[in-house]
Amino acid sequence: MTIEKLRRWGLALASLGVLGILVLHALVFFWVPTEASQGIIYAIVYVHAPSAWVAFLAFGIVALASALYLWLGDEKVDQAAVCAAEGGMIFTTVVLLTGPLWGKIAWGTYWTWEPRLTLTLLLWFIYLGYFLVRSSTENPERGKRFAAVVGIVGALDIPLIHLSVLWFRSLHPGPVVMKPEGATMDPRMLTTLMLGLLSFTLLFFGVFALRYALETATRAAAVRARAART
Amino acid sequence: MHRALSVLSRFALPALLSAVVALPAAAQALPGTEVGAQNLRPYHFLFIAYAIAWILVFGWVVSVARRLARLEKRLQD
Repeated sequence: MTIEKLRRWGLALASLGVLGILVLHALVFFWVPTEASQGIIYAIVYVHAPSAWVAFLAFGIVALASALYLWLGDEKVDQAAVCAAEGGMIFTTVVLLTGPLWGKIAWGTYWTWEPRLTLTLLLWFIYLGYFLVRSSTENPERGKRFAAVVGIVGALDIPLIHLSVLWFRSLHPGPVVMKPEGATMDPRMLTTLMLGLLSFTLLFFGVFALRYALETATRAAAVRARAART
Repeated sequence: MHRALSVLSRFALPALLSAVVALPAAAQALPGTEVGAQNLRPYHFLFIAYAIAWILVFGWVVSVARRLARLEKRLQD
């Protein structure tokens, strides 16, 4: 796909995502019922949960692309990995900043070292390491390979985060949507949450395409500059 | 598109950030509002949480769009 095509697709998907997020805001403030026990603060779920979902999706792409890079050595999949990792970091940061605000009202504390919070913070640090490892070696190819290993290992934390509320004693509530007996949520709340998931996913893929176009152009410019020097 | 993003990054984001910082403090400064501030606290936290999500996510969008536009301009030159 050419840079121009990627740009066009990226802008289209990102615009749809932004539109969805605007509708999401309208639903959150004018349509969705207030949660009975926690009150208005529960509305954080409509940005917190979609951000977590997109972060996991992004790091899943990093792991898959990293495995493919180690197997095939294809530069394009490494490009995809680094673009997804950037998005994953952004959305994990949103999760780590919005969660404590919710926690302060719901639990009375901004932070507690309970399993899900700790594992999510660990995920953030692992992918911070991903970027540090990439740029820490003199040989860039070696850095990319080391980073790919970190990208794969880091994704192993995702199922642990998801299952930690079931495996350990946790302040985090158990799943309300992904349950064997079906979602136990008001249908309006569920619709709003699903719109949030869809909008954030569209926005992520839109910006991912733009970021991929940027990475492609940057690498093409670097190759051109090297060729001009020699 | 680039112009709109530029306006957003120069004016809208700083304005939003200022509001995030100023609004909770302003609400708490109202006279005799210890209980009122307590009741409004979830609203402030909700507002801050949404503002954080907007700033980070749209900051990323703007940053990628600006870097891409700058690189394309450099490649054209």
